[in-house]
Amino acid sequence: MLFEALLIALWAGIAGVDLFNVQLHIHRPVVTGLVVGAILGDIETGLITGATLELVWMGMVPLAGAQPPNVVIGGIIGTAFAILSGNDPKMAVGIAVPFAIAVQGAITLLFTIYSPVMHKADKYAEDGNTKAIERINYLGMTMLFLFYAIIAFLPVFFGAEYASSVVEKMPQFLIDGLSVAGGMMPAIGFAMLLKIMLKKEYVAFLLVGFLVVTYFDLTLVGTAILGLAIALYDFYKGKGNDDGGPKPKKEVMTNGI
Amino acid sequence: MASKTTTKSNEKLTKRDLWIMAIRSFFLQASFNYERMQAAGWLYSILPVLKKANKKKEDLGKAMKRHMEFFNTHPFLITPLIGIVAAMEENKEDPEMIRSIKVATMGPLGGIGDALIWLTLLPITAGIGASLAIEGNIAGPIIFLLIFNGIHAVLRFGGIFYGYNTGVKALKKLKTGTKAVSHAASIVGLTVVGGLIASYISLSTPLVVNAGKAEVALQEDVLDKILPNMLPLGYTFLLYFLLKKGVSPTKLIGLTILLGVVGKYFGIL
Repeated sequence: MLFEALLIALWAGIAGVDLFNVQLHIHRPVVTGLVVGAILGDIETGLITGATLELVWMGMVPLAGAQPPNVVIGGIIGTAFAILSGNDPKMAVGIAVPFAIAVQGAITLLFTIYSPVMHKADKYAEDGNTKAIERINYLGMTMLFLFYAIIAFLPVFFGAEYASSVVEKMPQFLIDGLSVAGGMMPAIGFAMLLKIMLKKEYVAFLLVGFLVVTYFDLTLVGTAILGLAIALYDFYKGKGNDDGGPKPKKEVMTNGI
Repeated sequence: MASKTTTKSNEKLTKRDLWIMAIRSFFLQASFNYERMQAAGWLYSILPVLKKANKKKEDLGKAMKRHMEFFNTHPFLITPLIGIVAAMEENKEDPEMIRSIKVATMGPLGGIGDALIWLTLLPITAGIGASLAIEGNIAGPIIFLLIFNGIHAVLRFGGIFYGYNTGVKALKKLKTGTKAVSHAASIVGLTVVGGLIASYISLSTPLVVNAGKAEVALQEDVLDKILPNMLPLGYTFLLYFLLKKGVSPTKLIGLTILLGVVGKYFGIL
């Protein structure tokens, strides 16, 4: 288990840096699920749990600097827990989210601790010391790497054997209940997206997307293309109006009934 | 851009310099903190132009100090601003003007970035990836990374040249163009969110009501006849209204766990 835990720690460190820097988004649960699954030898469970966690975190993005529950640790610990305990991926969500909230608290602390360093940076800047400014940035990333690596290592290494025994001791209704809650949790992410994006004029498109999937089982790619079709129509129609172009009236259409 | 031709005091930035600054901008948030946020990372990103434009160490120090001020914007849309500021620093524009452009731009760019990247590009691409991965398909994460980063790369590397070449003019262009684009992005985004609500929230009730001799399964016989997926839709809107009332997401997570466990215990969910 030590070797696997070390690999997961290494991955968590890289993913933790990626959350804020470079941002290739290899830190998203849909990716970390695959990687953690590969490390622990169960790619399929990894993919499924990662995808389930991805949907939970869908709307939980860093808007205007406000930090949501930590997606890196949530994805990694959630997937590791699902594989090691052999439980339903949805139940892993019930475990991962509270854990991720606690970790985000620690990250907040880290960002606070780094504030005084800025006064040092002021001094270096005044002296025109470019090397020192670079060092301060590299140090910040090193701290993040170590933090994430340690946070991911501990529960995987020490908790691995206990993970299954803890689950065994839990009453069945609690396990099933966490599973139900895990299934409901994507609603939080979607509600957060709606809170920011939804305006009266957009309700129609939300309903269209909802209805085509509910009744016609349209895939997500299909739904996105449908949305794109509407958006393109709207975009060029709007452009035409702005120009006050040569075709101002559409009444002609009514003649063609 | 007229001033560019009049002052030829320093070496001009090369294409290579712009590429290097775009790459350095990957680390905009390396030293993120609550006091200055991205300030030191911003300074790190634009060091190449500052070094080229200020040959005297004293001048360099003054310029660096100016760029250690509070700064925070969207990390993906940073390069157009780097391009603009690089053009201005290179031309030795008035520091006051550079500062005001930085301050005036970081807010709107942050808002546009949130709308375009975090609320549109990420949910759509990650949603598509997750919809494949949830069936155990390994293509899910790969497709997500390819599409997402393809667009990421175009924005980041295209943005710096766009910003640099159009200089200050870019600011006005940005403002007029973005409204229509973010409107269109919202339409696509919300259509997809509607689809996500229908496909990925699992919430149904096993309740069976005994009406005389007939047994009525609440989910199949009643709810599904009215509107399938009405519980996921209803629950999303309940949470939406709670969020609007100012309830924190963390509380909603607690509420959801509580509802799940209690609902299961009483056999409602």
